[in-house]
Amino acid sequence: MKETSTPPKPVLRFFRWYCHPKLQDYIEGDLMEVYERRVKTSGKRKADLRFIIDVLLLCRPGIIRSGNQSPKFYHTVMLKSNFKIAIRNLWKNKVSTVINVFGLTTGLTSCLLIALFIRYEASFDQFQPNKERIARVVMEYSFEGSEDKARGTFTSTKVAPVFSRTFPEVEKGIRMTDADMIVVLNNEPVMERNFMFADSSFFDTFYYEMLQGNPATALNGPDKVVLTETTANRYFGNENVLGKTLLIGNDAKPYEVTGVMRDYPANSQMEFDFLASFSSLRRNQEKTYFNANYTTYLLLTDAQAFAPLQEKLHPFMENEMKGTGTSIHIYLEPFEDVHLYSPYSDFVANTSIKYLYILGGVALLIIIIVCFTYINLSTAKSIERAREVGIRKVSGAMRGQLFWQFIGESFVLCSLSIMVSIALAGLLLPPFNILIGKSLQLAGLFTPSFILWTIVATLFVSLIAGGYPALVLSRLQPARVLKGVFKNTQSAKVLQQSLTVFQFAISVFLIIATVVIQGQLHYIQTQKLGYDRDHVISLPIGWSAEYNLISTLKHELKTNTHITNIARCESSPVSIVGGYSMRLPSMAENEVIGTKATPVDAEYVRTAGLQLIAGTDFSEQHIQATLAEKWEDKEFHYILNESAVKKLGFKSNEDAIGQKMHLNSQGIIVGVVKDFNFQSLRNSIEPLVLFSAAWGNRMLIKVKGDDMVGTLAHIETKWKQFLPNRPFEYSFLDQEYERMYRTEVQLGQVMNLFAGITIVLACLGLFGLSSYMIQQRVKEISIRKVLGASLWNLLSILSGNFVRLVLLAIIIAVVPAYFLMKQWLDGFVYRIDLGVWIFILAGLATLLIAVITIGIHGMKAAVDNPVKGLRSE
Amino acid sequence: MKNYQLGEFEEIVILTVGILNNEAYSVAIKDEIESRLVRTVSMGALHTALLRLEDKGYLKSYSGESTEDRAGRPRRYFEITALGKKAMLYAKETREQLWKAIPKTVLEAKFI
Repeated sequence: MKETSTPPKPVLRFFRWYCHPKLQDYIEGDLMEVYERRVKTSGKRKADLRFIIDVLLLCRPGIIRSGNQSPKFYHTVMLKSNFKIAIRNLWKNKVSTVINVFGLTTGLTSCLLIALFIRYEASFDQFQPNKERIARVVMEYSFEGSEDKARGTFTSTKVAPVFSRTFPEVEKGIRMTDADMIVVLNNEPVMERNFMFADSSFFDTFYYEMLQGNPATALNGPDKVVLTETTANRYFGNENVLGKTLLIGNDAKPYEVTGVMRDYPANSQMEFDFLASFSSLRRNQEKTYFNANYTTYLLLTDAQAFAPLQEKLHPFMENEMKGTGTSIHIYLEPFEDVHLYSPYSDFVANTSIKYLYILGGVALLIIIIVCFTYINLSTAKSIERAREVGIRKVSGAMRGQLFWQFIGESFVLCSLSIMVSIALAGLLLPPFNILIGKSLQLAGLFTPSFILWTIVATLFVSLIAGGYPALVLSRLQPARVLKGVFKNTQSAKVLQQSLTVFQFAISVFLIIATVVIQGQLHYIQTQKLGYDRDHVISLPIGWSAEYNLISTLKHELKTNTHITNIARCESSPVSIVGGYSMRLPSMAENEVIGTKATPVDAEYVRTAGLQLIAGTDFSEQHIQATLAEKWEDKEFHYILNESAVKKLGFKSNEDAIGQKMHLNSQGIIVGVVKDFNFQSLRNSIEPLVLFSAAWGNRMLIKVKGDDMVGTLAHIETKWKQFLPNRPFEYSFLDQEYERMYRTEVQLGQVMNLFAGITIVLACLGLFGLSSYMIQQRVKEISIRKVLGASLWNLLSILSGNFVRLVLLAIIIAVVPAYFLMKQWLDGFVYRIDLGVWIFILAGLATLLIAVITIGIHGMKAAVDNPVKGLRSE
Repeated sequence: MKNYQLGEFEEIVILTVGILNNEAYSVAIKDEIESRLVRTVSMGALHTALLRLEDKGYLKSYSGESTEDRAGRPRRYFEITALGKKAMLYAKETREQLWKAIPKTVLEAKFI
C-alpha cells in the first residue's frame, strides 16, 4: 500500500484562510506536489518544515485574499466623506453629542487618573535591581502557655549576622531602623523625621547612586552618615561635603559625612534624608532574639532560595529557642510583595492590593456606564438615521462600509474625548494628589506603554460603544425603512432598557458603598473611645530627660491656668503597641499571659481622661519608687484595664486591688481602669497594663483650649528654657487619631468622588434617552392632552416605565452591595450595623434623581401646546 | 514608443516559460530555474511574478489536468502572449544596445 503523508493541517488551514480563492487550487496543488517530492527525498520532518516556510513566504499581496470581493472603492475619498458626515452628524445632534462627549470625557478622565494611581502603586520598588532576591524578615513570637501570638517585621540585631553565617542561601543581611533624630542646622536643633540607620551591606543590596564618596566604606564603622542630595544641599549648600561633621542626636554627637547619594524615587519603600551606619546605634548584640526593634532584610543568592530557606528556618529557630519559654518563628516576605500584599508597613505606608482592585473596579464601572449611554443614545437615534442608511444602501453601499462608517463616528467622538481627557487629567492631577495623599507625576501619562494603552482603550471603547449601533443600523432593510413605517425594533428596546437598568444598578451599588463607608467613618470619628483626645498636646521629650528636670518643667508649665494636667509617658492612649508578658504568683511555673503594657506617670490617667473604676491612681511616690539605679531595686505598681482583670481570672475588679503581679518585675496592682480603645477600631480591646515609671519619651499636656495660641507660646518659652537642645515640636492627639484611619478616610473621599461621577453619568444617559423616547411619543401626548389628561397624568405615564426600570436596578444592586460591604465592615471589630435604612436611602435618592431627570423632558412635553405636536404634515 | 516593463526576475520567469514551451506550470518553472541558474526560488516569489506577468498581459494561463500527486488539484499552465514576446524582444534589444555602447577597453580592462 502506498504510504501517503500529509502536511501539517493547521498550516494548510492557515494557507486556505488567507489565500485568494481564485489561486487557492493551483497553489495548493503546487504545494502538495513539492511536499510529496520532499517527503520522498528528505523525509517527513524536513518536508513539513519546508512546507511551513513555503506557506509563510506565500503570504504576500496578490496572493492574500482581498477583504472586499466587490469592485474596488476609492477608500480615501470615502473616508473623507465619512469623516465629514460624522462631524456634521455630531454637529446636528448637539444634545446627544454634548452628553456623549461630556460623559466620555468625565469617564475617561476618571479612568486616566485611576490608571495613573494604579500604575504608580504597582511600580513601587520595581526599580530595585535585586528586587527578586531580597527577603524581608517577619517575626512571630508567643509565650509558652499562652495562645496569643504577636507578629510583625520587628527583629533583633541578632538575626542578620546569625542567618548570613548559618545559611548558605543568605548572601547578606541588612539591619535597618528609622528614627526621629535631632540634627543641628545653623546652631539650631532640628527634628529630622527621615533618619535611617542601616548596615553597610545596604549598598550591596539596594539601589543607590552615589554622587560623592565610596559606597564600599561609607557606612563602615560607627558615626558615619550618608546624605541625600537634597539634604546635603540643605545643610551645606553646594560645597563638597565629604569629611564634614554633623551634630546628631540628643547628645549632639559628631558624625562624619561619608557620602552623598541621589534622592530615592517617590515610589520606593526606602525613604530617608540621612542614612547612618547601624553601628552608630551601638545596640549590636547577638545574645537574644528579643529587643526586637529593627527591620531585617536578607539578600538571598537567588530568587529560588525562598522556599528552601523557609523550610530550614522552623527547625533552626526551634533549636535556638529551646528552654527559653518562648517560641519564635521567622517568615520570609518577598521584597517585591511588601508594598501591595503585606499587612506590615515599614518605612512607607503600604497600599493594600484590595484598594487598587476597588479603584480599578470603579474605573471599569464608569467606562461601562459611559459606553452604555453611548449605545443607548445611538440606538435611540437610529430612527432618525434609518433614512440615511436606506438611501446609502440603495445607492450601493455595502453593509461592511456602513458598519465602519458608524464605528468611525464613534471613533471620532472617542478621540475627541480622550484628547480633552488627557488635558483635563493634567489639570486635575494636583487636587487628585491631595485627595489620595500621593505624589503622582503627570509624566506618567506620557510613557510609551501608557500611550499605547490609551490608544488601545480608545479603540476598544469606540468598538464597544459604536459596535452595536453600527451593527443594527447597517442591517436595516432599505425597502422597509424608506416606506416610512420604521420603528425601533423590540430587541433594541429590550437592550436599551437592560442597559439602563444596569447603569442604575451600578450607580445604586456605588451609592450604597459610599453611604456605608461614610457612615463607618463618621462612627469612627465620633465613637466614644473611653479616653479624651480633644485638646491634648503631645510633645516628644526623649528618653534621656531626667525625672527631676521634667518634674520642674511640669511645675513651671502649670503656672499657666489653661494647662490642667501633664503626663510623661511612652505611648498616647491612641495607640499602645508594646508587647509584654504578665503572670500572677498563683499561676503555674512558666505560664504567662501576653498583654500590652506601657510606662506612665502619676498624671497619665487624668490627662488621658481614663475612667478609674476600682482602686487608686498612681501617686508621685509610686513613680519615685522606680528611680532606683539597679533594676532589682525598682518598685513597680500596676493599673490594669478590665480585659486584663478578666484575663488574669480575678472575680471582680476589686479583687485585683492589692494583688501581686509580675510584669517587668514583681509589683502590686493598685487600680483598674475602664476598657478603652487603645488601638484601631479594627481590633477588639486587649488586656493592658499601665505601669508606674519615671521614664517616658513624650509628654502629654491637657489644656482647656480657649486660649490655644497663648498656651502654646507659654509652653514654648518654658521648653526653650528647660530643654534647649530639643526642637519644640508638638502635635495634637486627635490628629494622631485621624492618621490611624487615613486609608479609610481616603477611600471614603475617593468613593464619594467617583460615586458622584457615576450617578451623574447614569443620569446623563437617562436624560438623553428619555428625551428621545418622549420625542417619539409627542403625538400620543398631544392627543391625550386634547382629550383632557392632566399634567400629573401625563408625567406619570411618561415616567412610569423608567421608574420601573430604576426600581429593578435597585433590587439588582442591593444583594452584591450588601455582601461586599458586609465583608468590608467585618474588617472592623467596632462597626455600624448594615441597616435597611442605608438601602432605602440609596434607593430613594437614585429614584428621586431619576424622576427629576425624566421630569425635565416630560414637563416640557406635557406643558407644550398640543397643536405643535399634532401639526406635523 | 511603448514601454515594456519587465523586472529581472520576471524576465527569468518568462524566458523559462518559453523554454518549457507547453509544459510550463509553476513547479516545472521552479525546477527549471533552480537547475539552470542554481538559485532557490520560493513559491511565493514565483507565484507573485507569474500573477504580475499575467496582469501585464505578457502571459496567459489555462487549467490543466489534475493528478494524484497534486492531491487532485489542477495544474495551471502558462504560455507567452504576443505582447509578452514583444516585451521579451524589447528587453533583449535594449540590453544589446547597451552592450554595444560600452567601449571595448572597459570590458577588456575588466577581464585582465
